[in-house]
Amino acid sequence: MVQVIKSIFYLGPLLFGFGFLTPLISQIIQAVGWTLPFGLTPLMTGLIVGGTYGLIAQIRGRWI
Amino acid sequence: MSPTQDLSNLSDAELMRMEREVAARHLNKFPYFAVFWAFSNLAIWLALWPLVFMGIIPLWLGFIIATANVTLSYLPSHEAQHDIIAKPGSKLRWLNQLVGHTSTLPLVLPYQVAKITHMDHHKHANDPDLDPDYSTHADGPLHAIWKSLYNRQPRANGGFNAYGEVLQRKGRMDVILISVAYQVVHFGTLFALAWSGYALEAALLWWIPRHIALTYIQYYLSWAPHNPGLTKGRYRDTRSFRSILGNIGSLGMQYHIIHHLHPRIPLYRTPRAYWEMKPILEARGCDVHAL
Repeated sequence: MVQVIKSIFYLGPLLFGFGFLTPLISQIIQAVGWTLPFGLTPLMTGLIVGGTYGLIAQIRGRWI
Repeated sequence: MSPTQDLSNLSDAELMRMEREVAARHLNKFPYFAVFWAFSNLAIWLALWPLVFMGIIPLWLGFIIATANVTLSYLPSHEAQHDIIAKPGSKLRWLNQLVGHTSTLPLVLPYQVAKITHMDHHKHANDPDLDPDYSTHADGPLHAIWKSLYNRQPRANGGFNAYGEVLQRKGRMDVILISVAYQVVHFGTLFALAWSGYALEAALLWWIPRHIALTYIQYYLSWAPHNPGLTKGRYRDTRSFRSILGNIGSLGMQYHIIHHLHPRIPLYRTPRAYWEMKPILEARGCDVHAL
């Protein structure tokens, strides 16, 4: 059972990156009214930044 | 007894008798304020959500209040963990358990987890292998803040991750499952709010306040009263200390030594108990020089 729980939580950083950081970054961009380069939308930027940060945290096992 | 009285010539038995006499004056006092604190603090935190969502108060103000709420959410549960509100079998036991279970909801800390690991902390304070809070030990204030943040990282061995190990060692799969349920609800709520267009509200009313609160709580409730934490034993594993934020700013922890010696003395009585007990503590060789 412990192994099952650990497996579920193993992907936590990646899930957090896409599940929370992505919309958070997107809504911060919208709130401050930033104009993004290369035709990027706030959500695309959120996905790139949040997803990448989550992936890095997933690999390293730490956010900081 | 004067706070400066020298009792070093008394026997262990005599010191223990005097210590128990002082403690008895502060035990079995109903902590009215802690009960009021528990429910009012939770009510304010819950009220922040509709107040911010409806634009009645600005988000920045909600963030400040939420940070205070989440930081203040632990201590009423701590009173409950030690059965200070009501002992098992007593008429008000339900109130003790209600405070314990509800007050730490903003902190996403199940009462059972807090109680089991905290009892182990009292039993094994400063033991590198058995104290669940040992990972908060640090070389100084900034290091303590760093350790608190570091211990919260996904694959760190300390902090709540260490609590999981303790529960596993004790065979408390039931409590681990409760903890998992809390995490699923917490992150599920954050994700749902974020994808519904309320990511900033979720971040500033719960996610960031919780991280600030955990750092503050671990600094003042775990690191500061046990620093340097090199020795074990009833009169050696904690101390009194002076905080630049005073006793209230340090969440009442300046007199933490009283709590470890007599855990059922309510938080609000520990300063008085400390000053009454100080000559005894000095005679015992406790680290009580800061106050």
